[in-house]
Amino acid sequence: MQEQIVTQLRAIVGPEGILTDSTALLAYESDGLTLKRQRPELVLLPRDTNETAQCMRVLHEHGIPLVPRGAGTGLSGGATPVPNGVLVGTARMRDVLELNAEDRFARVQAGVVNVDLTRCCDGDGLFYAPDPSSQMACTIGGNVAENSGGPHCFKYGSTTRHILGLVIVTATGEVLHLDEADVDPAGFDLVGLFVGSEGMFGIATEITVQLTPIPPVTETLLAIFKALDPCCDAVSDLIAARLEPSAIEILDKLAIQAVEASVFAAGYPQEAEAVLLLEVEGRESAVEDTVERMLPILEAHGLLEVRRARDAGERRKLWAGRKGAFGAMGRIAPDLYVADVVVPRTRLREIVRYATDVCSERNLKISNVFHAGDGNIHPNISYDRRDEEEVARVLEAGDLIMETCIKYGGSLSGEHGVGLEKQAMMSRLFTPDDLSVMERVRRCLDPDGRLNPGKMFPVRSCKEVRPQLAGSPGEST
Amino acid sequence: MSTFSKEAGAALIEHALSLDCIHCGLCLHTCPTYQLTGNESASPRGRIHLMRAEAEGRIEPDHGFEEAMDSCLLCLRCESVCPAGVSFESMMEDCRDGLDSVRPKGWLVRVVRRIGFGHILPSRRGIRLALGALKLAQVLGLTRVASTLLGARGRALGSLPPVPPRAERQPLNLAAPTPGSESSQAWLMEGCVMPELFGRVNRASATVLAAAGVHCRTHAEHTCCGALHAHNGDLTGARELARSTIIAFESSARIPVVINSAGCGSHMKEYPRLFSDDPEWLERARAFSSRVVDFTEFLAAPERLNPLKSRLGPSQSGTLAFDDPCHLCHGQGVRSAPRTLLASIPGAEVVELEDPEACCGSAGIHSMLRPEDSSALLAEKLEDLERSGAQTLVTANPGCHMQWAGGLTQANSPKQVQHIAEVLAQALKPNAS
Repeated sequence: MQEQIVTQLRAIVGPEGILTDSTALLAYESDGLTLKRQRPELVLLPRDTNETAQCMRVLHEHGIPLVPRGAGTGLSGGATPVPNGVLVGTARMRDVLELNAEDRFARVQAGVVNVDLTRCCDGDGLFYAPDPSSQMACTIGGNVAENSGGPHCFKYGSTTRHILGLVIVTATGEVLHLDEADVDPAGFDLVGLFVGSEGMFGIATEITVQLTPIPPVTETLLAIFKALDPCCDAVSDLIAARLEPSAIEILDKLAIQAVEASVFAAGYPQEAEAVLLLEVEGRESAVEDTVERMLPILEAHGLLEVRRARDAGERRKLWAGRKGAFGAMGRIAPDLYVADVVVPRTRLREIVRYATDVCSERNLKISNVFHAGDGNIHPNISYDRRDEEEVARVLEAGDLIMETCIKYGGSLSGEHGVGLEKQAMMSRLFTPDDLSVMERVRRCLDPDGRLNPGKMFPVRSCKEVRPQLAGSPGEST
Repeated sequence: MSTFSKEAGAALIEHALSLDCIHCGLCLHTCPTYQLTGNESASPRGRIHLMRAEAEGRIEPDHGFEEAMDSCLLCLRCESVCPAGVSFESMMEDCRDGLDSVRPKGWLVRVVRRIGFGHILPSRRGIRLALGALKLAQVLGLTRVASTLLGARGRALGSLPPVPPRAERQPLNLAAPTPGSESSQAWLMEGCVMPELFGRVNRASATVLAAAGVHCRTHAEHTCCGALHAHNGDLTGARELARSTIIAFESSARIPVVINSAGCGSHMKEYPRLFSDDPEWLERARAFSSRVVDFTEFLAAPERLNPLKSRLGPSQSGTLAFDDPCHLCHGQGVRSAPRTLLASIPGAEVVELEDPEACCGSAGIHSMLRPEDSSALLAEKLEDLERSGAQTLVTANPGCHMQWAGGLTQANSPKQVQHIAEVLAQALKPNAS
């Protein structure tokens, strides 16, 4: 990168806000998807909207591509740098700007960590509902970019349902204020458009989120099953019976063992083939009623035992175990491929069985930890990235699982986004026309395609799609 | 301008250890240096990533690498949240040791190493001479002059606590009891700097242990356990001191070794790691480490807590807040014992800090090497203490003790810092025997 550009950027963010050392930059070469790596040319860590906008103007002026990054905990490669590109990180934008308990919203900088948001409003009897497993580290900005989910999104809905307003810096460095905090702003719902845009529409620097009242009673149940198949069926039946717990999670045996060996050991029974982690919230009578109606359904599917969390401490432990599961897989192999696909909930058993078979046929270690209630499964395949042949088998298994989900009427992404991981499969889910429309929307906000280029759109399809676009010759995506 | 001299192909760390990290990033938010900088190369995940890249020959240890490793406080908070159980401390110690052999060192580091680690800490006489000199310098006002001359790096020198008068700087010299009741005996390890700067803490520890029905003895010659050496890239020195420590306490193989300095206790519990390639010493290290116990952990066991409780009267220290030393909570997993002890003081009002497990910035000699980072971390802790309303900050580690005391003095705060042994000793009912 030209020294003059670096000087210009340094003048904006100060010496602490720019990383140029090639060794330091290597720490940014991937996000949670370690298969794809690219060292950035530069990392910028602006402190607010103004600095971000100034940086974006400089990058625009020089036609430099860039990737926004929160904590880099994503699993689809959304925050992986691009060749000759700059990373713009939100790690120094960590202020809660406003907390309004009466109107139940908070305005935060994009780099505020998910769990900190809930901590800061806890005293007012409120919480921020979307709770990705990485919530201990991931940022609200990253959650907005990926439209993140989490166990409790079964009841509360994913990130998009909780974002009231945004301040966005566009590709050209313009600042858009979409933060009236109205339930339904006049005109197009641009906030809705932005959430889940995977860093391709701009950088959200300030985010207004809706806060949810903490329910009066919370009951957490650990249901232990003797096999994974009936455990999946139990979930399908709970949904069919119109029961509304706030979270329905499945962990299988390998996942349980990894968690129990870790600092997050939660007391999951290690001999069980599968457990269901269920949470029911609301008024006491309603909670009791739901639990009573759930039990016979669970029993009909070979339930061995139900344990109830006795207090908040036990509940925290049960959830910490679930949320540490991905990291705990480090005990099994150096790398982990976390698939993130969705099927109709009546097909849960079939898809989990299919994923297991696909992996065992390829001699791959698979564990399952997933948001069963949403039909959002995460077959976790452990591998070692140094073994190229094994990597090929992992990717093949991933593709087969994704294809089968599409065949079952499901989707490619539950909550992790498409990024680099699933881009090739996009042409299986969408027609060239669909992709063309998406590309046009993107070009409205980023005409040059400099924001997170080379992600989400399948490379081959894009080339097919591009001729249909007016005024975009020769871009490389 | 690279002046690193690494043998081609030799990795700084054992590559296999780095493979435990799956890059999930759950450690990021708990890391004090990531919090300060927002820089991922100053985070546990980033540092491990760089160590792995170095071991794989993708990068050379250059100044950027050195900066990433040296900025770590080794507070071990990342280990407390790591689902994959990465042995971060051991990787960082190996990495710094390896780095030490290939890099040019700054003058301050060289002085601290050569004189401090090599001659002062390992010998009682060396420590006495050094502290005597410091005392003289303090009396003559030379530390203030030196601290001004040294700029930011000298700040730590200026904020050192006054060296107590000679009469207070005496080792305890507690002898073994007459043979018979081994079950109620314990070694109280006095430490290197503790007898000089915190003799009162050692005396309080012995008094409280006696009140709990424990006969304490001390070792006349033993000084340093080698923790600072291990943390700062001198594993050879650390091994030497570990051997001499093991030998010093080996003759009484069943008697627990009680440590009132969390950093030292944490290190001594990990002695076996230093001897993974040496079967004979590995065995001896295991036997020794299994006897090492923190002062609070030892006292909170019912057989000692019950007699102690009957001796405790009203608290003398006002509202208390316990600040977990990193090497007690993250290093040793001891969290409830100190709280149990404080709660057993009749009428003691104990409040919790919002983030008692965050590092205060002392981190061994980190406060001397990186004063800005250290002060920034301490500033947040001081605010936390202020909000808590506590009058006495309770700690269990001399480094944290000095760091807090320095911070409170600088802020002209009326609050005080006490070692938990001092708090307990002051609450002991008088004239009971």
